[in-house]
Amino acid sequence: MHVVNKDAILSELASIVGKENASASKHIRYAYSYDMSFVTPKMPDYVVMATTVEQIQGVMRLANREKIPVVPYTAGTNIGGLTIPERGGILLDLKRMNKILTIDTESHYAVIEPGVSHAQLASALYTHKLRFGWPVGPPSASVSSCAISHGIGGLNARYGLNSQEITSMEVVLPTGDLVRVGSCAINPEAWHSVLPMPQMDGLFKGWLGSTGVVTKLGITVHPIPPVLKVFTVSCQNVDDMVSYMMNLSLYEMCDDLTAVSWWLAQVPIPYPYKPKPDTAPEWFSFANTNSFTEKEKEAREEIWRMVVDEEQKKGTSIQVTQYPEEALRARTQLPSQIVGSTKNYCKQGGAGISWPGTFTPANKWAPVYKDWKKILIDHNLSPSIRMSMYRGVHYGMLRAMIPFNKKNPKETENARQAIVECLKVDLDHGGMPYKPPVDFAVEINKRAHPGYLMLLKKIKALLDPNDIMNPGKLGI
Amino acid sequence: MKWNLPSLEELEDAIWRCTACGTCKVAYDYGPPARCREICPSGTQFGFEGFMASKGKIAFARGILNGDLEWDDELVEAVYKCTICAGCQSQCQLDHKPVIPEIFEALRRKAVEAGAGPLPAQKVIAQSLRSYDNPYQGPRRVRTDWTRQFKKGKQKPIKDINKEPAPILYFVGCTGAYNLPARVIPQATASIFNKLGLDFGILGENELCCGSTAMRLGDAEAFKRMAEANLETFKRLHEKQGVETIVTACAGCYRAILKDYSLAEDYQSMMKGLKVIHVSQFLFDLHQAGKLPFAGSLPKKVTYHDPCHAGRHLSKFLIDQDGSQFWAGAYIGLNEEDCLYDAPRALLQAIPGTELVEMERIRANSYCCGGGGGVMTGFPDWAQRNAALRIREGEETGAEAMVSICPFCHYNLNQGAQGIGSALKLFDLTELIDQVLPEKG
Repeated sequence: MHVVNKDAILSELASIVGKENASASKHIRYAYSYDMSFVTPKMPDYVVMATTVEQIQGVMRLANREKIPVVPYTAGTNIGGLTIPERGGILLDLKRMNKILTIDTESHYAVIEPGVSHAQLASALYTHKLRFGWPVGPPSASVSSCAISHGIGGLNARYGLNSQEITSMEVVLPTGDLVRVGSCAINPEAWHSVLPMPQMDGLFKGWLGSTGVVTKLGITVHPIPPVLKVFTVSCQNVDDMVSYMMNLSLYEMCDDLTAVSWWLAQVPIPYPYKPKPDTAPEWFSFANTNSFTEKEKEAREEIWRMVVDEEQKKGTSIQVTQYPEEALRARTQLPSQIVGSTKNYCKQGGAGISWPGTFTPANKWAPVYKDWKKILIDHNLSPSIRMSMYRGVHYGMLRAMIPFNKKNPKETENARQAIVECLKVDLDHGGMPYKPPVDFAVEINKRAHPGYLMLLKKIKALLDPNDIMNPGKLGI
Repeated sequence: MKWNLPSLEELEDAIWRCTACGTCKVAYDYGPPARCREICPSGTQFGFEGFMASKGKIAFARGILNGDLEWDDELVEAVYKCTICAGCQSQCQLDHKPVIPEIFEALRRKAVEAGAGPLPAQKVIAQSLRSYDNPYQGPRRVRTDWTRQFKKGKQKPIKDINKEPAPILYFVGCTGAYNLPARVIPQATASIFNKLGLDFGILGENELCCGSTAMRLGDAEAFKRMAEANLETFKRLHEKQGVETIVTACAGCYRAILKDYSLAEDYQSMMKGLKVIHVSQFLFDLHQAGKLPFAGSLPKKVTYHDPCHAGRHLSKFLIDQDGSQFWAGAYIGLNEEDCLYDAPRALLQAIPGTELVEMERIRANSYCCGGGGGVMTGFPDWAQRNAALRIREGEETGAEAMVSICPFCHYNLNQGAQGIGSALKLFDLTELIDQVLPEKG
């Protein structure tokens, strides 16, 4: 508890958001105390559901005055414990702020509230034959939370991270002040770009909800090219796969260029670890392309065949592979209930899943994978690893999806230890964890340049003088 | 009689297979076109994560099992703020999917065992079941009031099946018998049967509640008492009065007799020689056989509401029980052959002049009327508000009427329509069919 008079605080919260939208009841708080991850469950002291910007400002002013932590929450679908309150306080549930405010079909951007889900936006955009980078998360997950947390989506290879699609923001600061960044700051109707002004959207991206509450978000949306073609290969080792991916990336023609290890390709991921059959390839890759015409598709195919040919001439084990139809659908029909429900992750694992999720230079994927594989197998966990190239060729996402039996504390701790060990290896190779749990943040900060930490703290103190926004998550 | 009603502890493994991913929270279909709308009446109304679909209710179940939560008035109320519609079950893809409503009901049984549940307003149902054998506190003699029109004029009297043999037992159900607006349903059903010249009878004042409401409320003892008595009656009627088919026009009774009663170890032997069928399927089969001769025309633009109990509640789940295909307990797939999605629609489309237009949320993604799971008794205002949401969805189609096959939905949707002053009319499928079915000449 952070306050002496809990009833008085609850009463004031109720006066801001309405009695039916504020609760300190244990069972209400309990449902927010855990997620899929290994992060130890912790309860907030209050839960409030805001429906307007003014209500959020009211909650923040109260929290700032009383120095009560505030944890912004949309769907709680991250797997890093990011909305598990480290220090109790007010859990600010934003799911009811779920309006799609604008879809500009000419300028190709949308403006959304934080509670808008991927499923909701996909449904609305489809009527205009538009799309966004849908992640492999649950359809109910928040578009806004994914984007501001540098989440990834199915258009990463073409347009970059979902955070790179942000065009404007409206934010309530921890002090309750309302600010705007991007073009909407100059003209309230203009949500098309964060440039050419200073990119102050960076004050709220990647901060794990510790600098403010994003109340409106502008994002670019894109036309749906109607001709889908997925190029699939397999190979026997990670070096060959990385070589292929880096080669194909040169041509910048894929929406998504991803490789998965044999263990990640299994439904479910084997838990505990089981060896791969000797005859099975260790890596599979799918390269999603979308073209406007058949000719465009054929041109992409010509390039892909050239790349495969080059890789084979190098003596790599790259082989053209037929992907099972169901697996292809899972990779191309997003958002997906089947993929999003973590079906392939958790069936045997007792409802737990966490990751070392990183942005890692592509030329370090192979050495990191080899170390991760050893660490994970030593912990009796499957090296179920994914590599995805971001826009261009130089870096991408490297992560291991680790199921574990959450019901068993020993197995949970085993997974946590393995994941943190993996993370250290990645950091040593220049990788950076994304959406990191506190354990990761601590490891990052241990290695950080002192100037980086100093600046981080100064900015945090400037925006959040009483350290009330999702405190503890940055590990500072 | 031995019953296989699982305890919360027996479902613990399934409870731990929920990852809390939240896929259950919205009705979503990739399409194309992609479609997404709310699916959970409780989550829609109350919003907090604990009310939200199976993710939320399973948090309560986990908390009770762990000892992290204890029964108090607020938790009990929260546990009963669910229509047990299984809309969340339709979205879930994990191994606990097949038992999601069962987890909710086991949690309620746990509350009842602890002396905490059900809610005071719902306890009246249990008392009424004991006193009157129905949940409406209606005297037994009132149960046959709907039959008055068959006792005079041209209508053929309805047999009392206890006195006269017949191959068909029409199991009326309490809502159709006691709920005044819903009485049109047994009246239309019996009228149709008469017009078709079917040899059928009813139990009349001796009919007992099917026990569905008690089951949904977690009152296992009340449910078993009603179910066992009914199974005994069915067996006797088969042996003594020649009953072969039990027809019901109530989705709740149908679900109870077909699915809930099957949890009795003696179900197969008690029901030997008997089959239970919903009237919509029964009439559809006659239609397919060319024995449902429509005459005239019923020019109406209608939309169809899938009741939970006659729809997704009847899904069968394919499970790898022994782990020979994937792993023990793996959810493999869905069999919807028992779900009454197609028969009612086919009949509506067969009625001359009637045009069927669909709402966005249909079949397994149908949005619950809001009346089930004890909600109409426990939270009547919320039930009505939720029904109004469904009525609004019906209005979006441009239909002038909404049709369903459940007296419970019929009543609650009517309440919802009245609450918002909607011009949308509510009909049971039997009412429309009765209008275009000529008298037996």
